[in-house]
Amino acid sequence: MPQERIGQQPPIAVWLVDQFTPYNQAEAIPGDLLEEFSDIASRQGIASARRWYWRQSVKTIAHLIADGLRVASWLIVSSTVGACLLGWCLFWLTETTVNVVLHRYHVYHHVSAPVFWLVYALLVERLVNPMFMGGMVGLVVKGRELPAAITLSFFIGISSALGLVLMATADTPRGFPSWHGDAMVHLRILRPLLVTTFLSPIMIVIGGVIVRKVRSAQNRMDKISG
Amino acid sequence: MANRDHLGEFEHIVLLAVLRLADHAYGVTVRQEIEERISREVSIGAIYATLDRLERKGYVKSQLGEPTAERGGRSKRFFRVTAKGVSAVNRAQHAFQKMIQGLDSVRSYS
Repeated sequence: MPQERIGQQPPIAVWLVDQFTPYNQAEAIPGDLLEEFSDIASRQGIASARRWYWRQSVKTIAHLIADGLRVASWLIVSSTVGACLLGWCLFWLTETTVNVVLHRYHVYHHVSAPVFWLVYALLVERLVNPMFMGGMVGLVVKGRELPAAITLSFFIGISSALGLVLMATADTPRGFPSWHGDAMVHLRILRPLLVTTFLSPIMIVIGGVIVRKVRSAQNRMDKISG
Repeated sequence: MANRDHLGEFEHIVLLAVLRLADHAYGVTVRQEIEERISREVSIGAIYATLDRLERKGYVKSQLGEPTAERGGRSKRFFRVTAKGVSAVNRAQHAFQKMIQGLDSVRSYS
């Protein structure tokens, strides 16, 4: 009877719990949730059991994040600082590479320089680089990849938002169209910045999820091979 | 001398639940025991975070059971209280009794 319930739990909740569960509890926590879910489903119905599963999952994830931050606090802080340094290196590398390409192939003759920088270079700096940073903290903080990636994304998100506010209130840099007077120019320049500012923290978490997925698959393979 | 290995309130409750359940203590039963006895709704995550902490302190030991089909092929993680855990519970109980003695507004349950 309880076997019929397997696969009837809310899939997103199951996936989320799997992402945050430390490897030493990877059997126990999802197994316990399924056991109680089956019990509630047979007594009160599937809808009630699903609601219970979601409630338990949210509370469990909150506890696992808090516990991860408590247990591996120094590792998470040092990996966050390391990832920020890596972010600066990647930022410098991207700028240097883009500069070399632009001057070699005279791209500025065909497109507007500010638009090129804001759209293409920022896509790499704000989307690809954060994914590497998220992956790096995930590699360092084994078993607590997601709490570490969330800490970094929170830090980067706040600092990026502050930077954006400072930029919007500061004077326009030389060579850029003024963004104080013309609303359209203002929107054209700030929109990609705004979008990438909110996407960077998400990309950091995606980097952490990728590392977590690879590690989970390795653990399963190790378990199967004995 | 200050004892840094003191038990927090929830740690104390979880240890007592594991002691009561003896050989049947795992996440589900510990959670249900606490809910039934003190009407406190707790999550599986809170139970495992606390049990993990207690294991690091040496108050409980855990071992995996056999995988079962009703759990999707996953094992139960059984816990038992160590001698160090029992003495920590006794110490906490003793401290409570000492503090309660002479307080007319608080009932003693011993």
